[in-house]
Amino acid sequence: MSEQFPGGVWERLEPLLLEVERPSRYLGGEWNAPDIEEGGTRVALAYPDVYEIGASNLGLAILGEVVNDMDGASSERVYSPWFDMEREMRTAGVPLFTLETHRPVSGFDIFGITIPHELTYTNILNLIDLAGLPLHARDRSAGPLVVGGGCGAANPEPLAGFFDLFALGEAEESLPRLVELVGLARASGWPRDRLIAEASRLDGFYRPSDYEVAYNPDGTVRAVDPVPGASSSRVKTVVDLDRWCLPRRPVVPSCEAVHDRVNVELFRGCVRGCRFCQAGMVYRPVRERSASLVVGMADEATALTGHDEVSLCSLSSSDYTLIEEVADRVGGICEDRRLALSLPSLRMDERSASIAGGLAGGGRGGLTFAPEAATDRLRRVINKPIAESDMVDAVVCAARAGRRRVKLYFMIGLPTETDEDVFEIAALVYRLRDAVRAQGLAPPAINVSVSTFVPKPHTPFQWCAQDDMETIRRKQDELKSGLRSRAVNLSWHDAGMSVVEGLLARGDRRLGAVIEDAWSAGGRFDSWSDHFDQARWREACDRAGLDPGFYQQRERPLDEAFPWDHLDLGVTREFLAGEYQRAMRAETSPDCRAGICIECGACERLDRAQVLKGRWP
Amino acid sequence: MSTRPLPEPLRLRLRLTKKARARFLSHAEYSRAIMFAARRSGLPLEFAGKHRPRLKLSLSPPLPIGVESGGELVDLSLVGYVPAAEAKRALSEVLPPGIEVVEARLMSGSDKAVGKLIDTAAYLVSPPEDAGTPRGWRDAAVEFMSRDSVEFTRVQPRRTRVVDIRKGVHRLDVEELEGDGVTLALALDDGVAGTVKPWEVIEVLGGMAGVSMEVLKGSRITREGLFSRRGDRLVSPMELGRRGAAAPRGRR
Repeated sequence: MSEQFPGGVWERLEPLLLEVERPSRYLGGEWNAPDIEEGGTRVALAYPDVYEIGASNLGLAILGEVVNDMDGASSERVYSPWFDMEREMRTAGVPLFTLETHRPVSGFDIFGITIPHELTYTNILNLIDLAGLPLHARDRSAGPLVVGGGCGAANPEPLAGFFDLFALGEAEESLPRLVELVGLARASGWPRDRLIAEASRLDGFYRPSDYEVAYNPDGTVRAVDPVPGASSSRVKTVVDLDRWCLPRRPVVPSCEAVHDRVNVELFRGCVRGCRFCQAGMVYRPVRERSASLVVGMADEATALTGHDEVSLCSLSSSDYTLIEEVADRVGGICEDRRLALSLPSLRMDERSASIAGGLAGGGRGGLTFAPEAATDRLRRVINKPIAESDMVDAVVCAARAGRRRVKLYFMIGLPTETDEDVFEIAALVYRLRDAVRAQGLAPPAINVSVSTFVPKPHTPFQWCAQDDMETIRRKQDELKSGLRSRAVNLSWHDAGMSVVEGLLARGDRRLGAVIEDAWSAGGRFDSWSDHFDQARWREACDRAGLDPGFYQQRERPLDEAFPWDHLDLGVTREFLAGEYQRAMRAETSPDCRAGICIECGACERLDRAQVLKGRWP
Repeated sequence: MSTRPLPEPLRLRLRLTKKARARFLSHAEYSRAIMFAARRSGLPLEFAGKHRPRLKLSLSPPLPIGVESGGELVDLSLVGYVPAAEAKRALSEVLPPGIEVVEARLMSGSDKAVGKLIDTAAYLVSPPEDAGTPRGWRDAAVEFMSRDSVEFTRVQPRRTRVVDIRKGVHRLDVEELEGDGVTLALALDDGVAGTVKPWEVIEVLGGMAGVSMEVLKGSRITREGLFSRRGDRLVSPMELGRRGAAAPRGRR
């Protein structure tokens, strides 16, 4: 119990709990929450959103266990306080605290913050500020190392000024090395500067102050150069999934979390090669986990948590080479214990639909597929060449398995998109529905979710322009008038959010001032539509003298230097450029699991081989 | 847990605490904590629904967030026989801190579930020591109980209305403590017959005793027990059907 820890804020926090919505967000002490021993190197791992969102994050659950398994080190969890709690904390002078011991984060050795996506940037600044630390890394002379990580670290440049270090790639092995270095630093009495300098030399860590950015008169990046004496270590790290079967004891959130289930990873990486997909580029190479380990993890984690659902997750779960075997074995466990089994991220074809259709507890809910684009040509451009006949088979198969809902993800604003491509979304949805009817089956309700394409760094589309607000709105309106059927439910992303996401995704260090300004103006929880305010971002850009269109709507020449070019995530820039050019010619590229290497560079640069446990079909 | 199958499910009735940090859990979160623990316990539970199995359970009426209780009741359904003491041990090992099994009892599956039995809750309220005088509280209690109706403006998220809370108050005793403080013992409608919340009574009573709500906010409230009214007796659902034992708990 945290009350026993000296310096904890529990006594000051307790009276505030009755003043806020959902006090359980701040309680800690959940089932499987780690027991913390006093002393040693202390790590606080934060998710920059509210508890019920962050509690589902698999990455932090894994890293928390990695550190807690070490001798002489402990890791505790931190989440963004909701508006009401932030107000109470600031009024009462309660600093940001961890859930396990309710001690102030400022007293920890490492303050790790995961960066899930661009719309959490203001929350990240708020966490640093609530912890009572100076916002800018250059102003911090004491307190924990502020370390960023997660997929948002693929282009951490807009946040460069706020972090001491970034972890690139998977941190199961690199974080323990940092923790050990901190212990050594304390034993040797190193000053903070020396510790950060030594840490920047560890594999998988990047100190932003090691690089200086020079700009051309037109605002583009001229060069990102290391300062004298800087470490050259800025290559991401990857791990062997069979050596890291975590989390073993997932914490059971005290309230319903967004992904309220046991998540077992089947594999990391994806080489389908969808050209818009950042995860598919930056998590390479593919590394599958052994089937028996997957089954064992599902077995243990359900018994230790009491969850009523298991999800076998990855970037494209039906691509796991032993998916039938694993779905069958885990399905058996689920049937015995009356659990539901789900497979998110399915390829849209008959094989996937029939595996998913027969899962335990499958009667619930629907199946989700992502065709992304409605015309054959555009699907070739994005390198997701699913034949329409496969889509029909998948939907028919879902209907035959008794699924009453099918969800389809599409994107608007993809490179080379024409009005016809947008119109075709509605036409394709109706064709799929009619195909089910033609089989004499009751068509499932179709939920169509349309997001807006945001070009991301380290992808073949990093050179592309993003649609402006007016274009996005016009296309959304076309969709709304095209999809007016009672059986079809259309949802779309807020155009303003997509534009801000696009601004920050390919941002450089000059955007740090914009983020700070948006945060000072009250920006919090930007990914919550109720709390997002585009005007705040527009005004912040105006005050910084930056044109959002420069970042967001500009097509870049092939030879333009990018703010993230110095960060090596495996795939080479040459490969990405080649893919970009093939996209413009609507040419597809093969999946290398079939045996032909397409030279993306990941295996060579990261010195890791692809790991498949079965035969690729 | 291997057990003999039963011709019809048994009811496992539990009396639980909701104390310490668990008092901050909402009713939905508390019920979730029990369902997850029940699954972890390995007890032979009964589920409802074919496609999406749902645990069968019945809970006593919601406890207001922040109020501690030593008498929350839960019914689980068992499809195999497990001795009550063994079930108590299995659950005790897997419940989160603050929720403890005080008592467990097996009953026939055809007995009424707790959710449909309970109509009365007993509370103890300790106002801050400097809030009012014992005499002031006693006079207020006498006045409250002597009225035919007591109006209270109940503010709920969707509607605000004036209700009569007098008929929902079955007992209102003032016990003097050493020093200056008092403890109020309340028996209120809670459950199938409607609900009067302890804060509602305290607010009205405070008004009569000349103590502001601002001061009363510091009161400590605990729910002592949940009962079913039989005439003017309060019967605990833990005791129902037990021979010679319709104990009028909560009436000291």
